[in-house]
Amino acid sequence: MKILKMPKQNLDLFVSVLPAFGEVYAPVKRGKGFAFDKPSLWSDVQMKYTRTILPPKKLMLPPRETTIAFDPVEGFQDQLAMASKPMVLFGVHPYDIYGLNILDRVFAQSKYPDPYYIARRKNTAIIGMDFEPDDKHFAGSMNSDFVDSGFDLFLSDIGDDYLVLVGTSRGDDIVVMSGCLMQTPGEADFAAYKRRSKDRRASYKTKLEMEDLPEIMEMEYHSKAWEDIGNRCLSCGSCSMACPTCYCFDINDEVELGSRKGQRIRSWDSCLFKTHALVAGGENFREERSSRIKFRYYHKQRGFVAEYGRPSCIGCGRCVEVCPAEINIISVIETIRGERDGIASSAPKSV
Amino acid sequence: MKPKIGIYGLSGCWGEQINILNCEDELLDIVGAVDIVDFLGGSSVNDTESRLAIAFVEGSVANAREEKELQHIRNRSDLLVACGSCACFGGVGAMDAQVSRPELIKQVYGNNGPAKSWDIGPHKPLSEFVKVDLAIPGCPMESKAFVKAVSSLLNGDVPLLPTYPVCLECKMKEYDCLLVSRGLPCAGPVTVAGCGARCPGYNVACIGCHGPVDEANMGSIEKIFEQKELPMDQIKLKLRTFAAPVLDKERE
Repeated sequence: MKILKMPKQNLDLFVSVLPAFGEVYAPVKRGKGFAFDKPSLWSDVQMKYTRTILPPKKLMLPPRETTIAFDPVEGFQDQLAMASKPMVLFGVHPYDIYGLNILDRVFAQSKYPDPYYIARRKNTAIIGMDFEPDDKHFAGSMNSDFVDSGFDLFLSDIGDDYLVLVGTSRGDDIVVMSGCLMQTPGEADFAAYKRRSKDRRASYKTKLEMEDLPEIMEMEYHSKAWEDIGNRCLSCGSCSMACPTCYCFDINDEVELGSRKGQRIRSWDSCLFKTHALVAGGENFREERSSRIKFRYYHKQRGFVAEYGRPSCIGCGRCVEVCPAEINIISVIETIRGERDGIASSAPKSV
Repeated sequence: MKPKIGIYGLSGCWGEQINILNCEDELLDIVGAVDIVDFLGGSSVNDTESRLAIAFVEGSVANAREEKELQHIRNRSDLLVACGSCACFGGVGAMDAQVSRPELIKQVYGNNGPAKSWDIGPHKPLSEFVKVDLAIPGCPMESKAFVKAVSSLLNGDVPLLPTYPVCLECKMKEYDCLLVSRGLPCAGPVTVAGCGARCPGYNVACIGCHGPVDEANMGSIEKIFEQKELPMDQIKLKLRTFAAPVLDKERE
């Protein structure tokens, strides 16, 4: 992997070459939060953001997309061209890149590859950026606060400069196009990188004990804790929408008025909704609210481990931030581990 | 021959009929696909007797005359669609269904009100009287939900309307959560979507106009409001504005 450095004052010039690689999305303010959006001015871009409301998932697997258009005479036409527009996603934190790598395993490297996801992922340049954890990040516990793949370039703040990791040949193309903005790093730069990396690892205020969690979850399948959590859950689906690795979707055909032409629409779904496990004939195999939120935890922390060798949770803290009922994954896991009496208080012990 | 449809308003503000007329981009497609033969809100010449493929009815039933009118519409229609929260749940008129009408008149007009009560009783949803084939909530019903219903029903399908809460649409648009981030009394988590989170998009907390979601966790949201020191009754009052009979039924 090629490693370069770029003085921070060169950033403005650097970003001016990005539109050549696609439509640029970067973190900007949205209400009291942040969102990946097309910045109207580069000065709107937030280099120190906590986390975006929605993860980069929204650009790879849009909340609502037309997959095919159908016509009784002309047949159907896939909408892949729409999904192939080049994009540049700037300022992605490492755990979010990790989240995309997890989605890759489900949508790109699985038995049933998804052409729409693959088209977007392939045509999107990812420029990563390191971050300072806040009290909701626990990426340090999820092995997701450092990534060695899934990005084209990765910027690490080392004081007056960024250390730039080049991850792909497209990343190298961006470097080549940015001409003399990049320099060769030296010993002192590497030392600064190592020091900052260590400091960041030590700065996590929130930790999640992952050791033997799948086994403990197996033991606690009938725990009363799930009922307590179910009593608090509003089934609003906010955690699923905000989760970088929740990928459930629904597919519906919408017919145009007065014809049999129409579109096949894919849209986000959530296992917390009562209709998620409703099947033809009216049977619902997760009718209880508690069984639905339990399912979400088991899929993230246990099912995914069995299937892919690691939990799909990446410790971004979004589900903690968005839950109106203040259901906190750290407290839930601590309860399941028997380290606290219940979830009555939402603040995790480890903070 | 094009299928015949009728559009009706019982007790309500006629907002659904206005919203149907507001489908300006689709009106020509609509009249191309169906024959609107009975629509007092849109035409002064109406066929009030012939058989209808679909009847769209807005408003709630407030007296015997409306009940009879609804019965007549039902008898002449293959399908009956309840349009808007009044038709689906009783709506604004059913907010205080338990209080007697003379008492309500007194509350509103004081002692200077009309001497005798009008011929109205507690407002009730259409489903209390007739079979409803499809219910499209909203105050008013969304124009696009009407167009979708017409196109699906003409194809022999029932349109898939949202059953999930407003939060889904709000998150899809990536609005900053009014309840979590600003502590505003938003009814989004317990309210059926379909509006595209219109109010939160203007920084206005959801008032619950599409009615409660199935299995609304009222206990939990009341606790959340309490913790945020929002007026205790606020969430209940909001939802009662549009769907009091549903909430009363759940409590029974």
